[in-house]
Amino acid sequence: MTELAVRLAGVTKKFGTHTAVSNFDLEIPRGTIVGLLGPNGSGKTTMIRMIMAILLPDRGTVELFGGFPDFARRSRVGYLPEERGVYEKMKVLEQLVFLGELRGLVRREAQSRAGQWLERLELSEWSGKKIQELSKGMQQKVQFIGTVLHDPDMLILDEPFSGLDPINQEVLEAIVREERERGKTILFSTHLMEQAERLCERVCLISRSHKVLDGDLKKLKRRERSGAVAVEFQGDAGWLTRLGIHDIEVVDDAHHIPVTNRVGHDSILAAAVREGVTLRRFEVLEPTLREIFVRHAGEQSEEPAMAAMGGAR
Amino acid sequence: MRQVWIVMRREYLERVKTKGFILSTIALPVLMIGLIGLSAFLGVQSERSERELALIDYTGLIGEEVAGRLAAFGYEMEVVGADVGQEELDRQIMEDELEGYLVIDDLTLTEGVFAYRGKDRPSSLRRNLFERFVVQTALDRHLSALEDGASVRALIEGGQLDFESVVEETDGEDAEVNRITGIVTGFGGAFLLYFTMLLYGAYVLRSVLDEKRNRVVEVVISSISPWRLLLGKVLGVGSMGLTQLGIWFASAAVLATFGVPFVVAQLQATGLEDVLQFLPGPGVIALLGAYFVLGYFLYASMFAAVGAMCSSEEEAQQAQFPVMMLLIVPFVLQMATIEGSGFAWMDWVALFPYFSPVMMFPRAAAGAVPWWMVASSLVLMALALVGTAWVAGRIYRVGILMQGKRPTLRELVRWVKTA
Repeated sequence: MTELAVRLAGVTKKFGTHTAVSNFDLEIPRGTIVGLLGPNGSGKTTMIRMIMAILLPDRGTVELFGGFPDFARRSRVGYLPEERGVYEKMKVLEQLVFLGELRGLVRREAQSRAGQWLERLELSEWSGKKIQELSKGMQQKVQFIGTVLHDPDMLILDEPFSGLDPINQEVLEAIVREERERGKTILFSTHLMEQAERLCERVCLISRSHKVLDGDLKKLKRRERSGAVAVEFQGDAGWLTRLGIHDIEVVDDAHHIPVTNRVGHDSILAAAVREGVTLRRFEVLEPTLREIFVRHAGEQSEEPAMAAMGGAR
Repeated sequence: MRQVWIVMRREYLERVKTKGFILSTIALPVLMIGLIGLSAFLGVQSERSERELALIDYTGLIGEEVAGRLAAFGYEMEVVGADVGQEELDRQIMEDELEGYLVIDDLTLTEGVFAYRGKDRPSSLRRNLFERFVVQTALDRHLSALEDGASVRALIEGGQLDFESVVEETDGEDAEVNRITGIVTGFGGAFLLYFTMLLYGAYVLRSVLDEKRNRVVEVVISSISPWRLLLGKVLGVGSMGLTQLGIWFASAAVLATFGVPFVVAQLQATGLEDVLQFLPGPGVIALLGAYFVLGYFLYASMFAAVGAMCSSEEEAQQAQFPVMMLLIVPFVLQMATIEGSGFAWMDWVALFPYFSPVMMFPRAAAGAVPWWMVASSLVLMALALVGTAWVAGRIYRVGILMQGKRPTLRELVRWVKTA
């Protein structure tokens, strides 16, 4: 299974004068959870729509399962678009059965699977209701079921968690993890950094139609370590000031020492031993995804993008 | 094919289950049949009196015959002589033994004037029947005394204009009946074709537009090819249309089977056979079916393309105008030449495949064009359908995934080329 699930090479897409995706390269190996991160309008949805061949790139190539995202390859994907597409006047169960049948399930199989999913997402009592009678969040869950119902090899989810309450977000996150355990590839876009940090194995950061960074999240974090450390100890912090460290930030009983102090890790540890400080924790801090993003997007003077990311959609 | 079937079934069921469909399809004919049936029933009931009618004949000449004719029509009629007297009959009416009675005297013989005495004013049906039978009986009496009575009667009953074509032989009454049937069927069929293509075409447009607007199509299209989706959709709406037409035809048939004989019996103007001979034959109905199927697919594919290139209802209203013109123009032309005659060049216009359903079918039904013209119009329509579906399918395929502004004509051409 060395085959890539998705490969983008030099992909550019313009809408009129606006460039939505610019010279983009991306490789998504199989069997991982990949987060596509970026503020609104950074080109996430355009990329996803190109992977699903809803849009065709102006330049570059898009490959799905090793080839053009034709009909046969697309049918191996469960796709959840950003805009919630449902037949509003159809009943919940009927809609799910329709989608299941369309993707090759026999009627009875589609019915029983849909029933199980509805139960799991606590929608059983709504199965006979028309979709337009459901709340937005419930509609979204129904649509999510439609995405996973036919047990596709890959899930492509465009902002799957937006608009859901925290409890339902957790339920969906759990399902995503489960599907990953079952060997599926999951690509989802989000503008919520913390969520991506919880869920993803790989990330791809986008800002203003350009790729900022991508790769394995753990490696990325290790690579992006600044050298800042967190120190937790008994007693007062006098020994740190005596070492010439002043801008200490106290977070949950731990003293965070940023790199700007230019005091080596060895000197800090030596001082602690010398001064007889009882150390509870000494840790080289890993940056959060948000910090990484700010650092890199900032280099491209993309600061306004961050403002957009702070606010809720 | 399985996917086409799944889409078609969804489209069909979702439409047939709506209140609007049930209301327009089932409730309408039921209501109409019910109303006609009810009024007919009430009319009969009020005429079927339990009480007797009487006839007092002061002339002693025509009373028996009038009573006989009325009895044949189902009235219980007792003829009494002048010896009984009107006071006695009036008393019987007051005591509800008799409903009413006719008074026939000399004036009836000469001027057709007679009286009906009773508590209630007679219904218009009863009044008509009584007048007709009494006057006819009196007239018969006068005519039988004349030598040339038969010809006088014929003249009284009205003359008739026989059209004799100098172009071709008309073989009598049958041809005339066929011609009238053809014209009526042709016009009715043309209207039905016009109406259904417009209506069901609009359904297809709406269906495509809705799917595009709420982005369901993006999900669906990842599992099914656009061609199959479109085919399933058109077939689904089409079968809904056939269901609707079927129900309407069936109720019309019910009406014809039970309603027409009833009306005929009531009026006794014409025999049942006279009416039935005007109903179209199976050949014409098959032809209507052929024009419906070809015409529906032709227009449905165009309406689908319009739906796919628009993003809102308002846009679609405008964009469907050219397609609607293709339907309205032949309809207007057809109205101008309702009997299928008119200018000869119109027959050639009717060969234009987009006009054929509305223009060629009535001509074919009325027998106004040679058979080879009808056949070529069907072939041309089939060819046009292949071409139109090819172009429309390509527009559909690109259009359903395209958001934003409606494409210009040049962009459309590019869609068709690149799709």
